[in-house]
Amino acid sequence: MQLEKKLLKKIEGNTQRLFVTLIFLLLIASVTKPDNFLKLGNFQSILKQMTEYGLMSLGVGICMISGGIDLSTVYIANLSGITAGLMMQKLIPAATDSGQFEYILLAILVSLLLGAVCGLFNGFLISYLHIPAMLATLGSYLLFMGIGIVVSGGSTVSGVPKIYTKLGNGLVFNLIPIPFAIFLIVVIVLTFIMSKTKFGIRVHLLGTNEKAAKFAGIRNKLIILKTYMISGIISAIAGLISLARLNSAKANFGSSYTMQTILIVVLGGVNPDGGFGNIPGIAVAVIILQMLSSYLNMFPNISNYYRDLIWGIALIAVLIINFTINKQKNKR
Amino acid sequence: MKRLDIGIKIPKQVEFYVFIIIIVLSVIIQAKSGLFFTNNNIMDLLRSMIVPSIYAICALLSFVSTGGPDVSFPLIAALSSHLATTITINIGYDGSIICVFLIAVFFGLLMGALNGWIIVKYKFPTLIVTLGTSSIFSGLLLGAFGAERIALPGVMMRFARASLLTVRNAETGLSSSLPFTFLILVFLYIVIYLVLNFTMVGRGVYAVGGDEISAQRAGFAVNKIIFGVLAVNGAVAAIAGVCYTVMSRRYLPTEFAGTEMTVIAAVILGGVRLTGGVGTLRGCILGTLLLTIVSNSLILIGVSVYWQKVFVGGIIIIGTAISAIQSRRAAKLSQEREADNYAVRKEIT
Repeated sequence: MQLEKKLLKKIEGNTQRLFVTLIFLLLIASVTKPDNFLKLGNFQSILKQMTEYGLMSLGVGICMISGGIDLSTVYIANLSGITAGLMMQKLIPAATDSGQFEYILLAILVSLLLGAVCGLFNGFLISYLHIPAMLATLGSYLLFMGIGIVVSGGSTVSGVPKIYTKLGNGLVFNLIPIPFAIFLIVVIVLTFIMSKTKFGIRVHLLGTNEKAAKFAGIRNKLIILKTYMISGIISAIAGLISLARLNSAKANFGSSYTMQTILIVVLGGVNPDGGFGNIPGIAVAVIILQMLSSYLNMFPNISNYYRDLIWGIALIAVLIINFTINKQKNKR
Repeated sequence: MKRLDIGIKIPKQVEFYVFIIIIVLSVIIQAKSGLFFTNNNIMDLLRSMIVPSIYAICALLSFVSTGGPDVSFPLIAALSSHLATTITINIGYDGSIICVFLIAVFFGLLMGALNGWIIVKYKFPTLIVTLGTSSIFSGLLLGAFGAERIALPGVMMRFARASLLTVRNAETGLSSSLPFTFLILVFLYIVIYLVLNFTMVGRGVYAVGGDEISAQRAGFAVNKIIFGVLAVNGAVAAIAGVCYTVMSRRYLPTEFAGTEMTVIAAVILGGVRLTGGVGTLRGCILGTLLLTIVSNSLILIGVSVYWQKVFVGGIIIIGTAISAIQSRRAAKLSQEREADNYAVRKEIT
């Protein structure tokens, strides 16, 4: 029990720091750029832009907590987007106006299922064939990208029905962008799963010590399968949102997101070796990063590429800060 | 003694399988198209292998010594070759190409040393640290230095035009040439091979990756070795960067990033063990050759370009699955043997 309390404290420590950073950043931004930054539209666009890689980061996050990593999220998302887009293209013109909705729903379901299958495939490679997670997902990401290229013929899939694009650009209560609302729901559900259910606790244990988990009677293979399946489904949601928001999907879209997701997850306080980390931390890290990059965009003379520089420095700084704080705690 | 044999045998077997796959693949391509063993195709293959093979050294060294991949080499290559190119242009230097390489190596060493310093000081995973630093390098390159495509200065252009060997296909009249950078590749491999196999430092690299504590007890300066490996990685990456720039005959800042995954995949296909301590240069070459053949020559047998990624992904998955299953089997065997030994010893006492 005591250990558990300690762990909770440690996790919250990092999330607390993240919240302080977020508020600090908000203050700086509001003081220096009040006209541009303190606008509803700005916040809405911040929330909208972060959804896709925010979702993928959550997927990568739970895999990393389980002691692995998922490098294939971006390509699962693209593949799902392509599939949904193609299905809508093929099916909708034949449908009457009243039939559109069912077909859209069908396309969404199929691509979510596809995401689950892709995730299960990753999980199978890792748990049953014992390929290290990094390698398995390295291979499968090329495979998924390849399948995406084959299915889409290497071109961009676009021309989805108008009703569907509302999903990416509409607002809930005329205030919150729908993508962010979906992100929030996923965050809440995932937080519940990871901290309140047996499954979540087992994932943490698996990440801390695989052997101990095995001897504790946990079926590691099943847990790994489930973890990667969830990551696959979340990635598929990201792909569907991206399809709705941009009205297009492409096999190699967002290649740079892979590294960004890992960066966000580590910034969010997940231990790269597995075992520690929580979902809200990742969510806050995503918001911080998107806010920072939107803020930087308000200075026309600062190139957008400085974002990379700041992200890199932030990653290493956070690692070092966490390292020194933990060291001091241990000394006491 | 027998257990030791197994430890050495497995990487050899992986390399052997890769070699067999390469032979089978090339024979199939030759049989179907008749174009594989033409001097043009061989020359093009060698040419496109140069830069990935140099990168492969970086991946090998970081895996063997730290048990994690260094993913910053493409951006070290990009940044250091950018600096070397612009400095050469700005001071109007027009002497030997070696100086251009030396400038790049200097910056590469600095960047590698940054990686090494963080990894040694804080013991963070190599992947995460190099991910962070490569993000920093990318920000420096495109943000601070505002890198854009650059036409090469005279000294680099002359080096680019010089070719080691030119072959001409009598039937098609197409000619392919092997650039001088190939010699750099050969030189690097010889040097690294000698260092890894015949010096105390080289053995230390393997020892540190195999078991850090044992290596320390055996008297290796663990921290110095890891730091050194990452710094050397930076230098090697810088050389690869200049080679790439020279071979594409202009500096293209955005062309570097994204190659790390295929290089890592190639090295792992070549039998490098992910947990560190095991891996050979021969495996690197074979793995790189296999992936280069897949991505260059599948077109020859009518496999559409669209399917290329599927094939590469499939080969990586199958290759890594085979080596994962094998190393598990070996681990089980040695465990069983240990248990047997234990039982025997128990009976004796």
